[in-house]
Amino acid sequence: MPDAGDLIEIVTADEIITGRYVPQQDEDVLIIKLDSGYNIGIEKRKVTAIKVRERYQQPSRQAEKAVQRSGLPRISVLHTGGTIASRVDYATGAVKAQFSPEELLQAFPEIGEIAQVSSRLVANIMSENVRFAHYNVLAKAVQKEIADGAAGIIVTHGTDTLHYSAAALSFVLEHLPVPVILVGAQRSSDRGSSDAALNLLSAAYFITQQPGFAEVAICMHENLDDEACLVIPGCKARKMHTSRRDAFRPVNAAPVARVSIKERRVEMLAGEYRGSGEGKLELRLFQDRIKVALLTAHPHMLEEEIAGLERCDGVVIAGTGLGHIGISPDDISKENTKIGELLQRLAKKAVVVMAPQAVYGRVNMDVYSVGRALQGYGILPAEDMTPETAFIKLAWLLSNYPVEEAKLLMGKNLRGEITERTEERAFLR
Amino acid sequence: MNDGEKESKDYASLGFRCGLEIHQQLEGRKLFCSCPAVITDREPDFTVRRRLRAVAGETGEVDIAAAHEVQKAKEFVYQCYHDATCLVELDEEPPHPISQEALQAALEVAQLLRMKVVDRVQVMRKTVVDGSNTSAFQRTALVARDGSIETAKGKVRIATLCLEEEAAKVVRREKGSDIYNLSRLGIPLLEIATAADIQDPEHAKEVAYRIGLLLRSTGRMRRGLGTIRQDVNVSVRGGVRTEIKGFQDYRNIPKVIDHEIGRQLQAIRKGELLQPEVRKAEPDNTTSFLRPMPGPARLYPETDVPLIIPVSSGRKVEHLDERMERLRATGLQESVIDAVVRKNMDIESLMRKYPNVPPAFIAETLITTPKEIRRRYGKEIDILQHADELLRKVNAGELTREAVFEILVEIAQGKEVDYARYQGADLRAIEQEIAEMVKSKKGLSPGAYMGMVMQKYRGKIEGKKVAKLVEKLLKKG
Repeated sequence: MPDAGDLIEIVTADEIITGRYVPQQDEDVLIIKLDSGYNIGIEKRKVTAIKVRERYQQPSRQAEKAVQRSGLPRISVLHTGGTIASRVDYATGAVKAQFSPEELLQAFPEIGEIAQVSSRLVANIMSENVRFAHYNVLAKAVQKEIADGAAGIIVTHGTDTLHYSAAALSFVLEHLPVPVILVGAQRSSDRGSSDAALNLLSAAYFITQQPGFAEVAICMHENLDDEACLVIPGCKARKMHTSRRDAFRPVNAAPVARVSIKERRVEMLAGEYRGSGEGKLELRLFQDRIKVALLTAHPHMLEEEIAGLERCDGVVIAGTGLGHIGISPDDISKENTKIGELLQRLAKKAVVVMAPQAVYGRVNMDVYSVGRALQGYGILPAEDMTPETAFIKLAWLLSNYPVEEAKLLMGKNLRGEITERTEERAFLR
Repeated sequence: MNDGEKESKDYASLGFRCGLEIHQQLEGRKLFCSCPAVITDREPDFTVRRRLRAVAGETGEVDIAAAHEVQKAKEFVYQCYHDATCLVELDEEPPHPISQEALQAALEVAQLLRMKVVDRVQVMRKTVVDGSNTSAFQRTALVARDGSIETAKGKVRIATLCLEEEAAKVVRREKGSDIYNLSRLGIPLLEIATAADIQDPEHAKEVAYRIGLLLRSTGRMRRGLGTIRQDVNVSVRGGVRTEIKGFQDYRNIPKVIDHEIGRQLQAIRKGELLQPEVRKAEPDNTTSFLRPMPGPARLYPETDVPLIIPVSSGRKVEHLDERMERLRATGLQESVIDAVVRKNMDIESLMRKYPNVPPAFIAETLITTPKEIRRRYGKEIDILQHADELLRKVNAGELTREAVFEILVEIAQGKEVDYARYQGADLRAIEQEIAEMVKSKKGLSPGAYMGMVMQKYRGKIEGKKVAKLVEKLLKKG
């Protein structure tokens, strides 16, 4: 069998087609790259013979030593996979990860003007596959880089669950002395229109220019223009669009800062933020055995949805409105009543928290009788935390505190995840 | 034809090599989203500002840093429209599945060009960093290979048929930024490339004409200015391959090619070094330098679109050549056939429906009559709206052919048509009247009798019939 990039001849009943072999998933089809650069598929059942005419020779990459400018702050870039650090092989069409400092500087040369960078791969996963253990691995890597003197950390990350990771790192990294900025890309780095460069460069620029901010945050496009990025608090961010480059928005909070590389400007927007402060960096890690579920309330809920949760240590309900889920009897079915009974039992065994599925705003379980009844079961309001942040916080609390203390801390602000005041401008920004 | 052959020999002795690339926009929705294929140049609803970067390729292939420096300063401003552009054109959403309508058009053209359709179509990204594509690449796919087209000078091979996205149109270039209109981006485009089988400049025109006709046979092509573009690749011995773009009219192709050959020959004589380049066809049929010939295109797979199995809908498309042949067999004149084909009028179904009406009269009604009414009365008539009913009446013997014109004039003038007035007259009554006329006014010419009868019965009886009656009665008399 040919290898990727080999020049091959495919013989069929009526012709011989020459091209470079491109491996792919579909078992019934051979893909070859013609001399013109186009790929075409040929059904294998038509192929009578394949001859390798010439083996593919990987072009030797010049091992360019990255020249770093001295005197600049040192930033460590930790890669966790995703498309931000990838490169296309034009001969085979395959996408390869690139993450060495040399490769990073080659792809984003401007970063060398902002900082001295070190770069390494911590994990290589699609972000929907993240487990709690990955947060711990990442946190330990951050700790090591800080110990080695990094002025700030950039974490490159898939965007699907970027906001969960930002919240997780916020909780794990206690007494954080430097900024930890997560960046992703909605358009992969292998295209000239990728948003990766601006996000990465803005994160680096923010780290070197900001006045003492020492929290976890996300740095992504402000809008559809390739002009500026927003730095969004790690516990107050959400992916609000499947594909736009400005998908990440602050929820119930102002952005930390607006960064414009073009204008060479970092504009601090949040009234207050945590500085380096006292204390030594400590890791308060997740426990992988902790079982926490995230349940969405909706019309016509089924008791099976609740029954499946009985082995959980904690449950976050993304409730309707001010923090509700249907438990009242109605004249059509008894399902809601059963759900109420199951929730009452569940809240005795597990920590059950109510967050707003409306995303924006705060739950208030005193306004309607259903809210009061749910509080009566022992269900705790998540204040103005998003369901995602509430989920991460609950899992982290249960990993680190006894249940009663965890319940108490759920409603207390630890990392900027709860704000007492919601400003008017903290909506749809 | 003899001249042409002589010409071909002359060009052959020059080492003339020539091939065409035809780009044709398709009707329907855009290739990878549901936006309509509508080009607008009105004030944009909003704009988006972007920068594009050189994508790191294999080491040594391009000087990334240099390419990057070039681009760093450049900003692109995209003019957007709520009704004609969506997140796909803005590179803010992955492509939707390929337009089946466009794919079918490609498959129909492939069939007409007797091409081999690939088993799987893989959409590719062709790197484009001039800003004309927001994504920095153009999506393009090879659909069929190895076809041919018959011409007066023999077979011309068709190398490839590609389905691709139209680029955004540049509005203006300013210092530091280029402004593009996004409405054109993503309109489906067929690219047909011939082999270098073209024998002389006239032949190039013929091939362009034939491919254009063939494309229109599908009825799926966009029409109007700029919807079809011909690029000519040409060289002579000792010269270099030059690509000529921007023909306003394919009929100018031979003159432009001749000028280009002249330019190359002159340069060769003077010993100048010719560079492969892209040149623009000017209105005076000369060419001017546009840009150096781009290097081989860098194509890599569009990973957002799965492999496509090209399944034809099975719709049989008749080549316009065949249709013209069929219309000739009905005895229609060449100019009429040309007009029918050009306007894509469905004359055949009317011919089938109304066998008692001569095809020439149907064609006349559809093509000549509206022109005649415009010329004589300065009125427009929507002929397709009225032709069917009038031809039905003619077919059934309820109306004379003469009446059709009169009625259409009345309709065009906005009058209420009194069909009773045009009912066929009683032949026997007319015969009697003529007999009396001949008796009472003896010695007049047949034309004079005819005139008197027609004055009274215009639209109710055909002139030929009256002439015959007059002739018969005069003989008797």
